[in-house]
Amino acid sequence: MTTMTTTSAAVTLHGVSRVFGRGPAAVRAVDDVTLDFPRGGWTAVMGPSGSGKSTLLHCAAGLERVDTGRVLLGDTDLTAAGDADLTALRRTRIGFVFQSFNLIGALTAEQNVALPLRLAGKRPSRSVVRATLDAVGLADRARHKPRELSGGQQQRVAIARAMVTRPEVLFADEPTGALDSTAARTVLDLMRAMADAGQSIVMVTHDPGAAARADAVVFLRDGRVVDRLIGADAREVADRLAAWER
Amino acid sequence: MLGMSRAGLAERWTLFVGALLSVTLGVALVQSSLLLLISAATLDGASADEAAVPMLGIVLGGAVFLAGFVISSTFAFTVDQRRRDLALLRLVGGSRRQVRRLLLGEALLLGLGGAALGVPAGLGVMAVQTWLMRRFAFVPAGFTGEWRMWILGVSVGTGVVLAVAGVLVAARRAAGVRPLEALRESGPAARVMTAGRWVAGLFFFGGALALVIVAPHGGPAGGQAMAMNVAMPAAVAVVAFGPLLVPLLARLMPFGGGVLGSLARAAVRDARRRSASVAAPLIVLVALVIGNTGAGASFTASGIDEVARSTHADFVVEGRVPAGSVPGVSTVSVETSLPAQVTVGSGEDQETTDVTALVIDPSAYAAVHGTPVDLRGRAVARGPGGEVPSSGPVRVRVAGADLGELPVVAAVPEMLSGGASLLLPTGLVPATGPTTSFVTLAPGADASSVGSRLTSIGPVSTIGDWLRADAELRNSTNDKVLLVVLGLGGLYALIGVVNSIVIGAATRRREFAEARVTGLTRGQVVRAALLEAYAVTGAALLLGLLAASAAFVAVLSTTSAVTGVATLDLPWPLFAAVAALILTVTGLTSLITSWSATRHPPVTLLAARE
Ligand SMILES: Nc1ncnc2c1ncn2[C@@H]1O[C@H](COP(=O)(O)OP(=O)(O)OP(=O)(O)O)[C@@H](O)[C@H]1O
Ligand SMILES: [Mg+2]
Repeated sequence: MTTMTTTSAAVTLHGVSRVFGRGPAAVRAVDDVTLDFPRGGWTAVMGPSGSGKSTLLHCAAGLERVDTGRVLLGDTDLTAAGDADLTALRRTRIGFVFQSFNLIGALTAEQNVALPLRLAGKRPSRSVVRATLDAVGLADRARHKPRELSGGQQQRVAIARAMVTRPEVLFADEPTGALDSTAARTVLDLMRAMADAGQSIVMVTHDPGAAARADAVVFLRDGRVVDRLIGADAREVADRLAAWER
Repeated sequence: MLGMSRAGLAERWTLFVGALLSVTLGVALVQSSLLLLISAATLDGASADEAAVPMLGIVLGGAVFLAGFVISSTFAFTVDQRRRDLALLRLVGGSRRQVRRLLLGEALLLGLGGAALGVPAGLGVMAVQTWLMRRFAFVPAGFTGEWRMWILGVSVGTGVVLAVAGVLVAARRAAGVRPLEALRESGPAARVMTAGRWVAGLFFFGGALALVIVAPHGGPAGGQAMAMNVAMPAAVAVVAFGPLLVPLLARLMPFGGGVLGSLARAAVRDARRRSASVAAPLIVLVALVIGNTGAGASFTASGIDEVARSTHADFVVEGRVPAGSVPGVSTVSVETSLPAQVTVGSGEDQETTDVTALVIDPSAYAAVHGTPVDLRGRAVARGPGGEVPSSGPVRVRVAGADLGELPVVAAVPEMLSGGASLLLPTGLVPATGPTTSFVTLAPGADASSVGSRLTSIGPVSTIGDWLRADAELRNSTNDKVLLVVLGLGGLYALIGVVNSIVIGAATRRREFAEARVTGLTRGQVVRAALLEAYAVTGAALLLGLLAASAAFVAVLSTTSAVTGVATLDLPWPLFAAVAALILTVTGLTSLITSWSATRHPPVTLLAARE
């Protein structure tokens, strides 16, 4: 059981379970997980396919209902929040990045980045949006539509969109899963820089190289946290993962 | 938000072209029918066929129903197809209200755009409808639909109201989309039967059932009207239960063996809502066309039968055959028809109707038509056409002469085939008007010699020829009415069908690309899509027939109640033609859309992740 106080953790999971289906076909995707994601730190979540990584991330971000347990974002109880509260949280305190970039194809890079602010009823200044795009190295692609961008560029636009609201926590599910190694390195460098600047990040990944860039690695198996590494390099992470995948 | 609407419109243009087309044509059809109805109703006096105004009323009602149905089902379908986009909006912080506002904003734009295009299109539709009406002599040759300035307001209102109302339910449903759905390739196995569908389905089922039950008690005119209106609510009920019924029936279609068959079968099973949405306009089209033509043809056949059964004569002469003037004749019923006005009640409740009166010899009439009519003095009887009370005093004016108050003392049974509303004994008015004589031969008389003697009085037909001519006239009138009523509406529904197939295929590029990288050739993908389209079309044909059968039940019970013989006479060749047309149109549309959706090499589609 953790001894950390709630304020020092960006996200706290307390006895969280999520079961899909009923009866004999029921799957315990997340099984009684108690876990802290520290504030200002970058945590990677690893585990075999189907071990519940994505489900855990969704529960931690308030996208998925939990069956038991509590999820706290800072001091806010996500499990008790209604739809309107969760919507407000997504606008202000949570950012998402996913494997399949999920940009809106009809909008330019710039418009995609500005979207969360506009949904929050703000009138985003061009300079803020440009600065955010600049931070991911895409200032010159502001007027391009997603289909005119490479995969790595699309993912960086998605990161810019997630960051433009200055969220407390950035959730990323296999952000480099669809990228080649060069594009992946650019994205990971970006995230490392963000973490160094104090951004809390929770990232699911399959890639030991990506996980090694994080501050800590959590291992899941059958919906349970089975291991934890801090400050490990890619080789150590790969060995540990191989051990749990056996 | 409006900027989003505009960008969304530009991107998913196939969806929006479909939605815009449905609004445009709906507005055009409603505008044209309304203008024609008003032009015909304000046309002075007897220059228009008396059937024109009620018929245009039905055309207008049908246009409003079809427009509402096609627009709302098209809009619901486009919203359904964009669930992922909307979920993505929710994921990055969009609220439910914003999703709703976005969709309503789009509907507003589409309603305005549809009205702007629909007003000029309506003028084209009006030209076609006017031509049809003139061609079939429902209106005089010089008749034109008149433009009225206020119709602009009505058409814009029609477009906006139908578009916004059409999207309301879909928008509420879409606002409930969960953000996580943005992350799944295909939406979750969303609940296919919503509470709204159950309510609407049961409501319209109840309506159709009530009409079926009440129709046989509605008399000839009321019963026919009710039976002709069963198909619409029955079709809406079937459509509401579509997500349950369409996949169920579609799976029973012969897919043929092989991998393509099983692929198509799986697609039908998996995409239940898409199948139901594609089938919806088809079901309405089939139910309306088959239900109404079947009911119309049956009532006509039943009326023809009824006339044949109730007319006991050997010859029919156009003219007056004086009794006893021709040897070999036993009975002659001389019947002269005159226009009359019947006034019932007095003061505030006074009501005057234009009817046809028939001057008869009661005993001869009774002998020929097999129904006793006992008239003495100034007494009159209600004829087979109804419309007049069956007893009590009525004021009658015939050919400009006021006959004063006459007692109605008897009523012959009302007939499906109609006829005169008032029977007057000879002597009450001078019988000058078109006269028909029904002649019965004396026992042992030679038919041909009597026939040739009658020709000196007027044109003679044997009863067989006369019945055939009467039947032909009734059939052709029925056909013309149905063509005017169903023609353009049917075309609109058919365009709705094409629309739904195009929309259904618009969002399947990725699915097709995946099938191709799995090893299917482009031809195989297209063929599997075609098989699927045929399965859904087949199911829709059956379900449309099911809704039409509700009308047929009403036809059977009404004809049985009115004429004593339950009659169903279905125009099978027409049904076969409709089925062939629909299969051709859906097949071609599916071929073209899936061919164009597989235009690009699959990798380019799979690489673009949005
Ligand atoms: N919506 C759902 N309905 C039913 N079962 C689900 C659903 N989502 C996840 N599951 C099940 O929960 C388990 C965990 O799924 P999850 O997606 O969290 O795995 P994962 O660790 O992210 O796997 P991967 O590395 O392959 O992405 C799996 O067995 C999966 O089948
Ligand atoms: Mg996953």
